Amino acid sequence: MQYCLAVMPARDEQNTIVAVIAGVRKHLDCTVLVVNDASSDATVTVARAAGAQVLDLAVNLGAWGATQAGIRYALRHGYDCVLTLDADGQHQPEELPALLQAHHQSKANVTIGTYAQRLSIAKRVAWQYFRLLTGLKVHDFTSGLRVYDLRAIQILASREASLLDYQDIGVLMLLQKRGLLIDEVPTVMSPRQFGGSRVFASWRLVARYMLRTTLLCIARIGSRADASRAEKSAP
Amino acid sequence: MTAQLTAAVLGVLLAGTILFLVRRDHLHGPYALWWLGVAAATLILGVFPSVVPWLGVITGISYAPVVPIIVGISMILLRMLQLDIERSRQERQLRRLVQKIAILEAEMNTQRAPSSITDPAISTQLPEDGDWHENE
Repeated sequence: MQYCLAVMPARDEQNTIVAVIAGVRKHLDCTVLVVNDASSDATVTVARAAGAQVLDLAVNLGAWGATQAGIRYALRHGYDCVLTLDADGQHQPEELPALLQAHHQSKANVTIGTYAQRLSIAKRVAWQYFRLLTGLKVHDFTSGLRVYDLRAIQILASREASLLDYQDIGVLMLLQKRGLLIDEVPTVMSPRQFGGSRVFASWRLVARYMLRTTLLCIARIGSRADASRAEKSAP
Repeated sequence: MTAQLTAAVLGVLLAGTILFLVRRDHLHGPYALWWLGVAAATLILGVFPSVVPWLGVITGISYAPVVPIIVGISMILLRMLQLDIERSRQERQLRRLVQKIAILEAEMNTQRAPSSITDPAISTQLPEDGDWHENE
């Protein structure tokens, strides 16, 4: 049996986080770790009261920085499986056991829970573009619902992953470069109750995201070829 | 002759300021060295302005007065690039330190070392986490 840690990056999520923690604890027998990304509200108090472990970041590190803190915690404490999910209540806890089971049954190192229908046309176009650019066969790059195995945890806890900004293409490209297998499982998602997407908040942010990610992809073109060769030579 | 005097005074002042800052420990290691280089160059150009037309002949730049400008801008660009590299390195360190402090704080609050949380069988094979030290 694997030790699984549910990691939840949270920034000003006091309205939703209790329900999410309760949901995860009800459906999964695992520790819930809330990583407070310098919230200005009562996220920490509320999360502790709900029975979660809390990492309290002194400086706002962004969604990926918070997630990586959780992954480093998992590595240090000997967990060999990390499940990440959003604290805003978009992911339905009753889907989690099925996702973990799918992860354990497939030989994948990373399993992404995807809700394909939620993707807007703009996102579909963007994702198609990034699929072409990266060679990643993934439908939803930004889904916060993911399961990582020990190999993925070790890679993502590393210094190399520390300058990424989102849990998205950069993370997946790094894992792909090391020859890890990425799988996707369709899940059901409920609409966001409070707040908005951190990545797709405005056109300016979208443009910045597209530019940055394109640059990241172009900079990694050589390493991508290495990874595909490694896959072919593997038995 | 006045222009040469102005340049010489500027060069001496800059070199003096930088030496002063290094002595007072306001500039450290590689930065001090770089700025001493800048001070030396300013001093040489200030005291011997004839270096400029000579450089112009050597580099084939027909309008010699732009030579120091070209060199200066190039050096500024290099320095800025180096600063950004340094800043990225520091950002990486800062992020990892913030994460580490949060983890240690959580452990302190629960009063439990990592080995007492995990199965002993697992903790013995825990990677010795060579990455745990932040210094590069």
